[in-house]
Amino acid sequence: MNAVIHMEVKKNLQDRGLLFWALLLPIIFTVLFISIFTAGTGGEEKRQVILSIVPGYTVMFLFFIMISMTESFIKDRNTGIVSRIASTPLSPYAYLLGKWVPYMYIVFIQIVVLLSFGKLIYDVPLKQPLWLLLISLFLTFTVTGLGLALSVIVKTNNMGIAFTQVIALGGAMLGGLWVPVDVMPETLQTISHLLPQYWAHQALQEAMGGTMEAMGLLQPLLILFCFGLGGFIIALISYPRFLQRAKG
Amino acid sequence: MFRVKNIKKYYGNQQVLGDVSFHVSEGICYGLVGPNGAGKSTLMKIIASIIHEYHGEIQFSPSHMTIGYVPQEIALEETVTARDNLLFFGKLYGLRGQALRNRMNEVLSEIGLTDRGKEKVKTFSGGMKRRLNIGCAIMHQPDLIIMDEPTVGIDPQSRHYIFQMIERFKQENHTIIYASHYMEEIEQLCDETAFMDRGKVVENDRIDHLLEKHAVPSIFVKGRNCLPEHMAQDHAISETDGGYLITTNQPLDMMKKVIEAGNENDREIERLELVKPRLADIFFSLTGSKLRD
Repeated sequence: MNAVIHMEVKKNLQDRGLLFWALLLPIIFTVLFISIFTAGTGGEEKRQVILSIVPGYTVMFLFFIMISMTESFIKDRNTGIVSRIASTPLSPYAYLLGKWVPYMYIVFIQIVVLLSFGKLIYDVPLKQPLWLLLISLFLTFTVTGLGLALSVIVKTNNMGIAFTQVIALGGAMLGGLWVPVDVMPETLQTISHLLPQYWAHQALQEAMGGTMEAMGLLQPLLILFCFGLGGFIIALISYPRFLQRAKG
Repeated sequence: MFRVKNIKKYYGNQQVLGDVSFHVSEGICYGLVGPNGAGKSTLMKIIASIIHEYHGEIQFSPSHMTIGYVPQEIALEETVTARDNLLFFGKLYGLRGQALRNRMNEVLSEIGLTDRGKEKVKTFSGGMKRRLNIGCAIMHQPDLIIMDEPTVGIDPQSRHYIFQMIERFKQENHTIIYASHYMEEIEQLCDETAFMDRGKVVENDRIDHLLEKHAVPSIFVKGRNCLPEHMAQDHAISETDGGYLITTNQPLDMMKKVIEAGNENDREIERLELVKPRLADIFFSLTGSKLRD
């Protein structure tokens, strides 16, 4: 498994596109939208907008890692590397974990950089750093777990990009990352409670503002964990079909 | 070494392998020949443990036999170096530390890439990639090497180099399964072969036995008015390359007759030669030569 992790890290370090998707684009969007939505505001109102946008756009852009994940898996599948790996003693379980872990590193670094950017430029509060760390770890697990499932299921890169857009942008819209959930119709509010984006955003906002209680943290963490685990299980179940489609 | 027994494989309702059985002895090169869709790649994937869902049985002796698989595609990480690729697959096969590095250097030398080991694979020619493709499969010095069309699309020099590698593998007592469309490769490299068509083995044996069993010898004669008329009536003769191909079980006698007839009647013979039976002719006679599109 370590060999797969090492190889995947090496490939990703050379991928400059990933740097753009994962860090530059979120920073550009965060700056742009904060400047738009805080125009003509001040004081507490401006602070609330920034406190919603920084974690909201962080969560939204984390999901775009799914594009890189699907590309990597489809490339392995189409070049025959998956078939070749399947002929070695490495188990499917170890292969999936090996491919998964490097993206966890990337997403975690992404969270740290984007929240640190918010702190440095907009002075967003990070009042409960331990809770923030825990939420970040679970969110990393969720995003990459779902990415893993998508990577093994989709047949083409275009399908991967399309589904990622639906998950990232649809989830952002319904999960309250763009518009506060309170102002949504009741049906949409119910739907938002079914999305990992909602729970991640709420938890991040509360931990940043320092209002998160230990017991209150359990629910979002458990929900995020279940999404991530679900993704891994789906990936494991779908792996034989993925291998069947592999060239080589 | 190993025995394939009554292997059947279906994709949905479509049968891609139907009751395939054969035995491969240790240290030989065993050829698999067949048109596209004959089931060669599927069979090799089953032997290499890539496909697990099938009917039938494969018995390995010894049971813990190690396998190296060379896929038809160039299954390499192109954005990293040749050394990185060899180290990666070496680790997957359980090699570690100094033993891994030593073996990597050995393989680089074996595949003729010692000087290019630190270069990225994407800068390599097709032949270099094909050699590295093989190198990644032999890092753990496997007992059985499965090669699925390893010489597709490469220059004659690289093909020759790969042939020499395969001869070395045989000398080192590795067993090889070699699939190819090129009949001359099978004839040159393999000791035994199986002809596959529509998911079945239509014939398998030692190559010399197959040639003895199926191929009918013939002679080729070319020249002005070179054949007496009665010969054309008494034997199976076909026109080819501006001359005549005479199929006969007594080729030397036939050559003698042609020469005698030529001397007696002042016929002009430009070329007269014994035609060696070819594996391709046997293959076509067993499977037909119609397109399988």
